[in-house]
Amino acid sequence: MLVSWNWLKEYLAHEVDPAELAHRLMMAGLNHEGTREVGDDLAIDLEVTSNRPDCLGHIGVARESCVLLQQPLRLPEAQPPVSDTLVDELTGVTLECPDLCYRYTARIIRGIRVGPSPDWLAQRLQTVGIAIINNIVDITNYVCMEIGQPLHAFDLSKLKSGQIVVRQASVEEPFLAIDHHTYTLDPAMCVIADAECAVALGGVMGGAATEVSANTVELLIEAAEFDPVSIRNTARQLNLHSPSSYRFERGVDSHSVDWASRRCCELILDLAGGELAAGVIDVGRRPSPSKPIVLRWSQLSRVLGIDIDRDIAGHILTELGIQTKRQDEQSVEVIPPTWRRDLSREIDLIEEVARVHGYENIPEDARVPMVPSQRSDADRVLEIVRRVLLSAGFDEAMTYSVVSEEDSSAFSLWTTAPPLRSSTPMLKGADCLRRSLIPSLLRARRVNESLSNSVVELFETARVYWPEDDGLPREELMLGITSGGDFFSLKGVIEAMVAAIQPAATLTVRDTSCDLLDATHSAELWIHDQLAGYFGHVSEAGLKRFSLRAPATVAELRFSALASIADLKRQHRTQSPYPSVARDLNLVVDEQVRWSQIADSVRSAAGELLEDIRFHEPYRDPDKDGPGKKRLLFSVTFRSSERTLTGEEIDARREQIVAACRADCGARLID
Amino acid sequence: MASQTDAAAPPPRMQLSEFQQQLDDLAQSAREDFSQAADTESLEAARVRYVGAKSGRLKASQKLLGQLDKSDKPAAGKSFNETKQLVESAFNASVLRLEQNASDSVHQEQFDPTIPGPRPRLGHLHPITQTIEELKDIMGRLGFSVADGPEIEDEWHNFDALNILPAHPARDPLDNFYVSGGETTSVQTMLMRSQTSTVQIRVMENTPPPVRIISLGRVYRPDTPDATHLPMFHQIEGLLVDRQVTMADLKSVLRIFASNYLGTDVHVRFRPSFFPFTEPSVEVDMSWQGGWLEMGGAGMVDPAVLQAVGYDPDAVTGFAFGLGIERLCARRHGMDDIREIYKNDVRFLHQF
Repeated sequence: MLVSWNWLKEYLAHEVDPAELAHRLMMAGLNHEGTREVGDDLAIDLEVTSNRPDCLGHIGVARESCVLLQQPLRLPEAQPPVSDTLVDELTGVTLECPDLCYRYTARIIRGIRVGPSPDWLAQRLQTVGIAIINNIVDITNYVCMEIGQPLHAFDLSKLKSGQIVVRQASVEEPFLAIDHHTYTLDPAMCVIADAECAVALGGVMGGAATEVSANTVELLIEAAEFDPVSIRNTARQLNLHSPSSYRFERGVDSHSVDWASRRCCELILDLAGGELAAGVIDVGRRPSPSKPIVLRWSQLSRVLGIDIDRDIAGHILTELGIQTKRQDEQSVEVIPPTWRRDLSREIDLIEEVARVHGYENIPEDARVPMVPSQRSDADRVLEIVRRVLLSAGFDEAMTYSVVSEEDSSAFSLWTTAPPLRSSTPMLKGADCLRRSLIPSLLRARRVNESLSNSVVELFETARVYWPEDDGLPREELMLGITSGGDFFSLKGVIEAMVAAIQPAATLTVRDTSCDLLDATHSAELWIHDQLAGYFGHVSEAGLKRFSLRAPATVAELRFSALASIADLKRQHRTQSPYPSVARDLNLVVDEQVRWSQIADSVRSAAGELLEDIRFHEPYRDPDKDGPGKKRLLFSVTFRSSERTLTGEEIDARREQIVAACRADCGARLID
Repeated sequence: MASQTDAAAPPPRMQLSEFQQQLDDLAQSAREDFSQAADTESLEAARVRYVGAKSGRLKASQKLLGQLDKSDKPAAGKSFNETKQLVESAFNASVLRLEQNASDSVHQEQFDPTIPGPRPRLGHLHPITQTIEELKDIMGRLGFSVADGPEIEDEWHNFDALNILPAHPARDPLDNFYVSGGETTSVQTMLMRSQTSTVQIRVMENTPPPVRIISLGRVYRPDTPDATHLPMFHQIEGLLVDRQVTMADLKSVLRIFASNYLGTDVHVRFRPSFFPFTEPSVEVDMSWQGGWLEMGGAGMVDPAVLQAVGYDPDAVTGFAFGLGIERLCARRHGMDDIREIYKNDVRFLHQF
């Protein structure tokens, strides 16, 4: 809301510094966005919150100012002289849609002279950014900016049969507005019509056919109250926002409708001449009286934490125009003014007292009781995950929750249900709530490749959204990883991370299949008997799909699978004081034999003294071992908690291991 | 004749043997100095000392020839020339020696401690996460535990329970990401939460007072991305509901919070504002470098909200506050365009 300083001070009885007033207003709720000089005037920009439509006019701002400055408010009388002709003899109003238009009033002025506005009026409108048209239109705008009640002046002679019908628009009814655009209306919109067609879009914009022109001599002055929601929808739908729609959307003061009409007529008679017909046509509902509110004095300190003297609080309420009906030691019963429809509850009055009294009076050193705060186990696990990944050289990424359809379909192993969609795209072309983090991370890889960033190691922890048959989707916190390293370096990072969460966890892999991942170099990851995630190389097709040049690996794990196994209170075990004994093994096996099978055989044959099995590398030498064979190099470590082991007994164990691997997997030892 | 000459000439002031001794000393000392010269500079200094054309010791010795008996001069001259050659060859030997040394050290393996060590690549936590962790840490010390809730919400938790009535403009489809599709058969309206206050409702619905929580996370509003707006951003909200919670408590908690965050004792200022779910509602500023810095919105939990979750507004009161994390993060790290935050350029991430 732009306020003209020259205009505002007309309502104030005493001098005040504009900067001082702007600051006071800001500290009372009208945020001061800035002040600008316009000619010899100041345009003071105040932010008016949606609960305070009363401050969308200069009088409203003046009213607030007077409360803060302890000044009386000077208001125009708005009692224009009338002629002998009765308004009823000149026009009539039919209100057909009281749900869209609560109330409609009309006054008639005849014999006016359209011309330019006087300088004082034109300058004030210019200060607040309103275009100057002619004295009549300028006056309607002026009164709107004065009291916050929008008005409209019709050229009465152009209204067919001189009658007004307030009705719903018909289906696809065309309407030529003052801006000379034709809008297509629908029945949810309220139009002001004459006997033939719509002459104004109620509360939003006037029509071209009946606008005031240089030849206009007779006026019908409209002051009405429209349904805020319907005005908002109409303005939105047609993208036709005006100072008028802005005010009706927020609600006008029913009691100011008639004052505004009279004030407008008064100014027209003063500045454009003419005669005002006696009386007003006033159809629709009468403003309902404000309901009384009880304020218990004790509630002030209960909510605000400070004691405010009852007399001071009562005085503030009175200054705000709130009438006291009854008062005693415990409470006060009051009636809020008609322009403050935001005041309907006790808490509203508490806020009024608090803000006028000044929030600076509320201390900032209260003794808030201490309580312990709890940190969740999930949070601790998340920290372990981050720590391991950061140490392994991965940077944390953050990507949008919504992706394009193309990216959404790139990876859907977790759920086959089609993704949820947002009503409007979050970013260009992105309206699918993601079911996996992997596509987003591959996009991030692409961004980095395009910047020639050579090392791109990223992880993200964020939610994915899996649609459910009924109700809200299932939201799963996922850990997504993408790396330029190969299958095993990524697997090693995952293994280290899982071990950091639960050293005893058993990780296994199972075959998987999807287009995005390489057919062989990919796997499901299981922790115990729980599917924890997927990982592997991005397939050639996958790289192409995301325009990636360099090979990439990805992984996605359900965070809950990690959190559920966490061991956050590690227990101490006495470490053996005896040295370990290690033996290397080099076994030849068929290509089909997997390391996990060998490891199982080793474990079962090695006995309780086995401390560790460490895989070194596979090796292939078809010349020596024949085709379809591979060598597996690994070492085993033994240790006893009771004694130093002898080389002989460990050699014997080694023999057992070799025998077991031969029996289970057809392995042959190379010495 | 000789005697005449002798009588006329000054008497010999130096014996040949003495001259010889001086030459021997000079040669000896020159050899030592030259051989001890560790570099070309000190060798040159030694050369000047012995062979220098103006004041070298050889030159001085040459002048002494005049003080010798005439008969001794031939022998003395011969000795002088020999000594001069000795000195010069000693000098040349040392020149060679230094040259040899120089070329030896070029070929010899040398330890170079200026070479950088192989650095392990360390990952960097996203600046938003760093900001969130900092805020969690501060609020944790103030006794606020972290609470969590869904990002896809129903209208009850995102609007109704927060006193955002059906006609409120905040519910406009253009101002929210409503969600549909999937295989859901539900007629329930869903949307991506537009604020983390939804979590407050869920916690209060399931927990009797007192409640002392913060909720953090992603929120969504259809804004066109620019330097200061994104359609997805993060919020932190705090909620304290108990008997006798007042606005003074709110101000005091926010002051401690702001002082902790900025690392210096600051003041907070309330400016009246409006939010449907708090009343009184305020904008919070913190004092910073002689001015005021906008911090976020706050207020006392609206009685309608307390009622919506089944609390008795006459028994308990509460305060709530909310802050935008991107803004805090951008200010903390001096970012002038928050769109960078979600680009994931590793050079950007490695700054923090």
